Amino acid sequence: MQLQDKYRIAVLSAYALALHGIESLVPTPIPWLRLGLANIVTLVALVLYGFRTAMTVTLIRVILASLFTGTFLGPSFVLSVGGGVTSTAAMGLTFLVFKDLFGPVGLSLVGAFFHNTAQLTLAYFLFIQRMEAMFVIGPIIVLLGALTGVANGAVSGLLLKNLLKKEGGRIQNDNEDERRAR
Amino acid sequence: MKTVIRNTTVADRLLFLFLVTASVAGIFVSREAMPKGSDVIVEINGKTAYTFALDKDRTFPVPGPCGDTVIEIKDKKVRVSEAHCPNRLCEKQGWVVKGVIVCLPNRIVISVGGKAAHSPKDIDAITG
Repeated sequence: MQLQDKYRIAVLSAYALALHGIESLVPTPIPWLRLGLANIVTLVALVLYGFRTAMTVTLIRVILASLFTGTFLGPSFVLSVGGGVTSTAAMGLTFLVFKDLFGPVGLSLVGAFFHNTAQLTLAYFLFIQRMEAMFVIGPIIVLLGALTGVANGAVSGLLLKNLLKKEGGRIQNDNEDERRAR
Repeated sequence: MKTVIRNTTVADRLLFLFLVTASVAGIFVSREAMPKGSDVIVEINGKTAYTFALDKDRTFPVPGPCGDTVIEIKDKKVRVSEAHCPNRLCEKQGWVVKGVIVCLPNRIVISVGGKAAHSPKDIDAITG
């Protein structure tokens, strides 16, 4: 890993962590509804710097956030890791396979959906094990995820547009370097 | 807002529409499929003694320390029609469609509402 990559991951993780923290201060109508603001950073990292950076940033964010809030290795940490890793993997795969088909909003929707599905599955196997509860809660969570996903995707889209406009040349070069390195 | 909409691709919009329609449909389907408070559960001393369907009329006695307590199910409602405990609170509660009737002296708990109403919410928290 190059030094530049390390700096980049550190900065992105700091952003993600800050958003993660801010998000827990924002009051939501339902206690377990989260906006997933940190996903904006994951998405930007994925589009600009590739899958590895996005996954690293997500893992760092989840682990550090759980250390700060004291839930490390607890049940909600398992849900967090599962959701984060699955959604990042799904977004990465979608970005790789359907590069031109989906924009940031679509990627964010994919991420939100897989985040929810992964958490529901984990919650089912670890805690609840009652199918009818899943059937009731599942669609609601997916619907809320779609709404927050669109919002996050829109923000990511605007952010990406501005970033690419401002320093498009530089980022492009970085990407080429990365490809050459592989 | 305009730039946001222009930023999306056709696939983005289709995916969003699909997710929203599927989940809204899922909400309605799951609501239809859920059992609606259809069981009468009689607990004696904290243990489930009888489970009856709410839509079938019947009258049955439940023995207890103060004598038989007669429980009546009629028109999808439940009541204690006869009790021999001191206060007869259970009898005074009358017909119950959803909820619980408790007869403390006889240690009888009658709850209506199937599994869904019987246990509290399952999910405590989901965090991102």
